[in-house]
Amino acid sequence: MLSKLSDRINPMDVMMFLIGGSIAAVILIGSALTLIHGKYSSAQWFDLLISGLALGGVYALIALGYTLVYGILRLINFAHSEVFMSGPFTAYFLANYLGQSGFLDANPVVGLALIFILAMLVSMTVAVIVERIAYRPLRHSPRLVPLITAIGASFFLQYFFRGLYGPNIKVYPEIKVLDAYIHLGIFRIQYTQLLVIVAAGLMMLGLHLFVQRSRVGKAMRAVSEDKDTAALMGINVDNVIVITFMLGGALAGAAGVLYLLMFPQVYFLMGFIPGIKAFTAAVLGGIGNIPGAMLGGMFLGIIEAVGPSLFLDGLGIPAPYQLKDAIAFTLLVFVLIFRPSGILGEKLAEKKA
Amino acid sequence: MAMLEVSDIHSYYGHIHALKGISLTVDKGEIVTLIGANGAGKTTTLKTISGIMHPRQGTIVLEGERVDTLPAHEIVKRGIGQSPEGRKIFGGLTVLENLEMGAYSRDNKVEIQRDLDFVFSLFPRLAERRKQLGGTLSGGEQQMLAMGRAMMTHPRVLMLDEPSMGLAPVLVESIFEIIQKLNQEGTTILLIEQNAAKALQVANRGYVIETGQIVLQDNAANLRQNERVRKAYLGEE
Amino acid sequence: MKGKILLLLALVAAVALIAACAAPTAAPAPTTAPAQATTAPAPAAFKCTDKLGCIDIAPGAPVHIAYMFVTSGDNASLGTDTRYGGELAVDDAGGKVLGHPIQFDGQDSGCTAEGGQNAATKVAADKTVVAVIGTNCSSESVPAAPIITNAGLTMISPSATSPALTDPAKHQAGFLRTAHNDKVQGAVAAQFVYTQLKFTKAATIHDGSPYAQGLVTAFADNFKQLGGTIVDQEAINVGDKDMKPVLTRIAATSPQFLYYPIFVAEGGAIANQVRDVPGMEKVVMMGADGIFTEDFVKAGGKNTIGMFWSSPDFSSFGSGYQALVAAYKKKYNTQTLLGPFHAHSYDAMNMILAAIKKVAVQDPDGTLHIGKQALRDALYATDMQGITGHIKCDQYGDCADPHIAVYQLTSDQFSKNLMPETPIWKPGGPNYTYNPNP
Repeated sequence: MLSKLSDRINPMDVMMFLIGGSIAAVILIGSALTLIHGKYSSAQWFDLLISGLALGGVYALIALGYTLVYGILRLINFAHSEVFMSGPFTAYFLANYLGQSGFLDANPVVGLALIFILAMLVSMTVAVIVERIAYRPLRHSPRLVPLITAIGASFFLQYFFRGLYGPNIKVYPEIKVLDAYIHLGIFRIQYTQLLVIVAAGLMMLGLHLFVQRSRVGKAMRAVSEDKDTAALMGINVDNVIVITFMLGGALAGAAGVLYLLMFPQVYFLMGFIPGIKAFTAAVLGGIGNIPGAMLGGMFLGIIEAVGPSLFLDGLGIPAPYQLKDAIAFTLLVFVLIFRPSGILGEKLAEKKA
Repeated sequence: MAMLEVSDIHSYYGHIHALKGISLTVDKGEIVTLIGANGAGKTTTLKTISGIMHPRQGTIVLEGERVDTLPAHEIVKRGIGQSPEGRKIFGGLTVLENLEMGAYSRDNKVEIQRDLDFVFSLFPRLAERRKQLGGTLSGGEQQMLAMGRAMMTHPRVLMLDEPSMGLAPVLVESIFEIIQKLNQEGTTILLIEQNAAKALQVANRGYVIETGQIVLQDNAANLRQNERVRKAYLGEE
Repeated sequence: MKGKILLLLALVAAVALIAACAAPTAAPAPTTAPAQATTAPAPAAFKCTDKLGCIDIAPGAPVHIAYMFVTSGDNASLGTDTRYGGELAVDDAGGKVLGHPIQFDGQDSGCTAEGGQNAATKVAADKTVVAVIGTNCSSESVPAAPIITNAGLTMISPSATSPALTDPAKHQAGFLRTAHNDKVQGAVAAQFVYTQLKFTKAATIHDGSPYAQGLVTAFADNFKQLGGTIVDQEAINVGDKDMKPVLTRIAATSPQFLYYPIFVAEGGAIANQVRDVPGMEKVVMMGADGIFTEDFVKAGGKNTIGMFWSSPDFSSFGSGYQALVAAYKKKYNTQTLLGPFHAHSYDAMNMILAAIKKVAVQDPDGTLHIGKQALRDALYATDMQGITGHIKCDQYGDCADPHIAVYQLTSDQFSKNLMPETPIWKPGGPNYTYNPNP
């Protein structure tokens, strides 16, 4: 009887469960204490939440690029951070010109549309070039090989753009109409944040419809399941892969402009941190899973904004925002303990098994 | 004139010489079967014809056009459709979407709709389950879907890889009925089967493949009588 | 299995992120190492007796002085400003010392510990280097100082101000600085806020760097001593962009004043977002010399109007300063100074040139021999009137004559993309009357 029990219980699982349990306990106790203490008003919580949603929307858009490519090629495209940087960095020069000439304030919609289009086109192009040069020749190599070229491509792009546009920080122009608030009772939302949330939401919806409904979207799903069989259907697998990179690139370029509307500093290393956060979001949601990337991004953004205050304030920990990455990654570990393939990863794991 | 003419093809998996000079022909309107043991090279032959693999030597000619250097999706467009071994249904796509994938390289909406209706008439079960995910179908239904999907490529030569594998006997019967029906409708078929008895019943001609080489070829009736075939593949003493 | 892989990937990402927060990758700066300058054999006449060894420079070969500055990324203006200072000193020396051309180039140290370590390792491996100017950030100097010291070289930092660097317990023999010690800067800031702005409730933010932590501590200690209260002490990570959450937290403690002596990217983000957080609309802001740069104002946008900085007191600088500024603006074709430490770098270069002249042994054919220990001793013995003031080093490497003043950005300067060049207040100077919108 005893031996049976010890057979069934793996010490590793017990440990994982204990770790998971204590994380959950700290979160719950911390949150309860913070809320009882009542240091923050509901308007402040709302601000934090909106902040998190906006950042999360950007993470989600970048995460989609990781997840789309992973879904099709089982490859972590580590150069995606630089895809995210390249478009908006290029569009800076347009934005700056439009800002200086006053066009952007006179015609914000047209101006922004131009900036978005340029950023998305450049990011898309960079993504496609990376696929062509760094990944396609290695399609049939062991899986670690393109991972190395991905990192190489990432460095190359960083320093290529440094060489192209200079090492210094540049700042996106402010758009005056966006620097105002909508009031909803005691709550308020800045137009910039509203724009980011709405635009990110629309793009995600658009991507979802594209992948679910369009002919090419269906082909993407088919290729991601089985490339050889997809080819037997007459699907040009290379084309579908290129389209996937284009989609990921365009979303990253748009995400970059949204990011810069909130945090206007642009320079050649700007992609690294959002990129790695978005990668985390993709893993959190279940990499390869499109709704998972969206959910993971939102989740990570909200946790970063709300988490430190909510979980740690009540426990009396000083300067909790220094720990926001620690919190985010602790939660990642927490999620992966209980759902090893990410929040929405289960379906995928079954399918690929 | 031969519809499909395969001449002396050699294919490799890395350094392994899998096909050592396979030659076969399929004439218009025929059912030709390729029988052989596991690992003899049947599936490799189909993969090489369909362009998933490329031969290092030899030629494949479809109605006078060489196709052995074309990528798989181009070969499909030229009229070779395949229902692969293990069915390879897209589990995350619905039945209808799977069938649509079959028609991916075609543009004529009217013809596609006509073929879709035809597939649904052959396999009414698929029509009932058109919104269901491919991964949730039973084995028999998946086989129907795989064949239907291959039909949707509107093939001039349809290659079927082990269509009866893993199916209940009653289903096997109906699959073979459908194969014959397709052939009567004018589809040329290259059939791979482990169930050699069944295959030789429906086929006009057959080839026997052993360790990457064709060792016998004849019309189906003669092959059924052949000593070697009876011993090795029909399980008769 | 898949789950474990994902978990592993996640952990890798976590580690990478933490490493990245500390280090947005140093750029490999171009090195144009002079070819065989030092390989020429020393004539028999000279025998090196220096315990750290000698550097021999063949006739006509350049005297190589290396820098370790931030030349890329968000803090590039800090490094570029100091590079300009050094170059101007070389120009003023006619580009030559003891008949040899001066070669002044170096490494990008990235304003991170890893960057400092990489840059120092590269510089230490270059046998032609005579002396080093750098680093910019204290976080770079912490790992760089022992590497440079162990290589027998001596570095002079024009801008690394953390008290820890010249702390007797931690000081490295090869480290000197013409920059002030932040014990002074933090005290001046606290004094200004308490006695001039008459605020009693301040909040602070640091970014975990030795520089910012040192300054925040010095500020808080002095501010409390004067009678003020630090209502909130927050910390952020390098690389953070969304500052609204942390500012919301600060707003809950209702400070009158916010002190964030950090760096450009994060400081810019704070300035940019602070007015969007309810409760922070009127808070008065102050930074320190690390963000007293053009790039910070660009990054922070219009909210930087009326903001204060503590920084070296340009008005206390020597008579040569106006000429230096004029040469700077002319040579680099700029309307404004990029940062506050060009004069310190200028002085550092002159210290090195003077010390070389003092200790170098010159053969009749022009070959130079420089003893490394002798050079270091000569640098410690510096006693000269520099642009930044009287330069005289103590045994722990502090050579500055620290004059710290407070600056404020006017809307006029902002609209013309200029940085303030005249202080509004200095310790012992006339009183300042607070004007939120100068």
